[in-house]
Amino acid sequence: MQFIDSTNFERLLKKLSGEGELFVPVTEEDTGKLHIERVEAFPLPEGMSVEGFRTVETLKGFAQLLRSTVAEYPSEELDELEIGENIPSYIVVCARACDVAAMELVDKVQVEGEFEDPFYRIRREKMFLIAADCTDCGDSCFCNLVGRNPWPEKGYDLAISKVDAGYLVETGSERGEKLVSENADLFTVPRDGQEKTRDDARMKVVAKLKENNKDFPDATKMTEPLREALTDGLWNDESAKCVECGACTNICPTCYCFLLYDTVEGDKFRRVMSWDSCQVTGYARMAGMGNPRPRLGDRVKHRFYHKYDYLPISHGEIFCTGCGRCIDTCSAGIDMRAVFKNVMSKAAK
Amino acid sequence: MKNPYYPIDTVVEDVITETPTIKTFVLKPVRPIQFKAGQFMQLTVPGVGEAPFTPSSDPSITERMEITILKTGKVTDALHELGPGAKVGLRGPFGKGYPLDKLVGKDVLVVGGGVGLAPMRALLYGLFADPSKYKKIVIKFGAREPAELSFRRQFDEWRALADNISLQTTIDVPHPDWTGHVGLVTTVLETEHLEGIDIVDSYALSCGPEIMLKFVTLKLLEIGYKPPQIYLSMNRKMSCGMGKCGRCNVGHYYLCVDGPDMCYDKIKHVPNVFG
Repeated sequence: MQFIDSTNFERLLKKLSGEGELFVPVTEEDTGKLHIERVEAFPLPEGMSVEGFRTVETLKGFAQLLRSTVAEYPSEELDELEIGENIPSYIVVCARACDVAAMELVDKVQVEGEFEDPFYRIRREKMFLIAADCTDCGDSCFCNLVGRNPWPEKGYDLAISKVDAGYLVETGSERGEKLVSENADLFTVPRDGQEKTRDDARMKVVAKLKENNKDFPDATKMTEPLREALTDGLWNDESAKCVECGACTNICPTCYCFLLYDTVEGDKFRRVMSWDSCQVTGYARMAGMGNPRPRLGDRVKHRFYHKYDYLPISHGEIFCTGCGRCIDTCSAGIDMRAVFKNVMSKAAK
Repeated sequence: MKNPYYPIDTVVEDVITETPTIKTFVLKPVRPIQFKAGQFMQLTVPGVGEAPFTPSSDPSITERMEITILKTGKVTDALHELGPGAKVGLRGPFGKGYPLDKLVGKDVLVVGGGVGLAPMRALLYGLFADPSKYKKIVIKFGAREPAELSFRRQFDEWRALADNISLQTTIDVPHPDWTGHVGLVTTVLETEHLEGIDIVDSYALSCGPEIMLKFVTLKLLEIGYKPPQIYLSMNRKMSCGMGKCGRCNVGHYYLCVDGPDMCYDKIKHVPNVFG
């Protein structure tokens, strides 16, 4: 573990910005919310904040673009890909534990296994992650209910924890170690007591999370109750207010489903990949109008089952990191934690 | 690096009209494509999009591929407008394919309905490569009316291939030109039509519309098949073919990687499995 003071941290970021595009969290004046913004020039933007909790935006949009061209055909190069050079390296500062963990989950789908998505993999390789402890939590944050902590444990290059007038720094990858060793003059040995200061701060956030979520059930134990609560009645009730906007899936850091469609570009054709949402009617509709999930209740149910039942079977983990963005964004006020409470009471009957 | 989303350049060599709404497209990709019976391809109509189809041709032929297609949506409407020389694209193959190894030494019951006969023909070519490896091959094909039975020009030829092959066709409602069996395909799954199949030592494979699959499954269970002996070509929207885009799930399975032919035993617990 190392210590870096705030001035040297800015120097480090400046140095890093020479190797790729730099993104930091900046506080939005009106709302106090953090947004990921690109640093065009130094000094760092005034509103940049290492403190707080997750940004409004997730990390997934860096690796899986909202919309991107995945093929142009017919092509003289046939089907050989040469996309690597065109994608710049980038550094994301203050990624929170829920978002770092979410990327590791999506990696399981997009990179691991029989097929890999080369576009996703390359964008992921170009990502340098400086993760940070949450120093607070939002009303909708519930990482404690999915068995996670508000500080990053793996999946990052560097991780920083605010103490005194600087940060404790841990490395989590070879790239991170290299960066620290090449810039050894910026770091010092942590002083006695700094680690305890960090741990105390962490425990304060955990205590607040526990207090905020004390009325809700442990989401890691939802798979069985979900299976017992298969009844349509429950899901029709839960979906009654849903307006089918798809915001919950778009803002979710682990929702990775996409749509492929083709367009005409002069005498060439373009294949486009775009984010999609299982909450909209046409998502799984087939030619001939067959639809395995014709009712909204079926689709709302599917979102919960995909994250808490199907993906745990195929990939061994719940695909929810408790970031709570789906709660913040839902115009109908659907709260995943409250749904689980209802599922539990239904399953108990 | 290969781009898994790029469609391999392919030319339509011939178009065979099977029924008023079904055509078989003979396709020649720029390079041979190896596939197993039951695996599927994503067929691109340039600028229109892709749709998934299981080839209906002999898997041992890799230079050309035949795909038999019902006109039923955006991509298939555009396909049906195409003639010889048209340029299309292919990605794949995807999915697991039929469990041919499991069928060796068994009685094999093949039940197809409507355009569901198309993937079944690739299965039959696989079985016909050496019919002696199986005990009986009992084929039941159904369609709404005689003109909607695809591949009927080949039926007598198939029946003559080996003594252990039988093929019975049925149409849903009586027709003046039809002297064969009349009734839904489930009616030819009654024991007296099954050529003495030893159900205990048999596998049944079926492909057709979802409603047909449902009633075929119920009938198979009624006559003594157990869920592990039943394979169904399931219908869901398959797009990426690699288990990533998310839409073709049946429970936790993705048909594009785990299917599209699924052992009924694996999916029987899924609510509304037949839609």
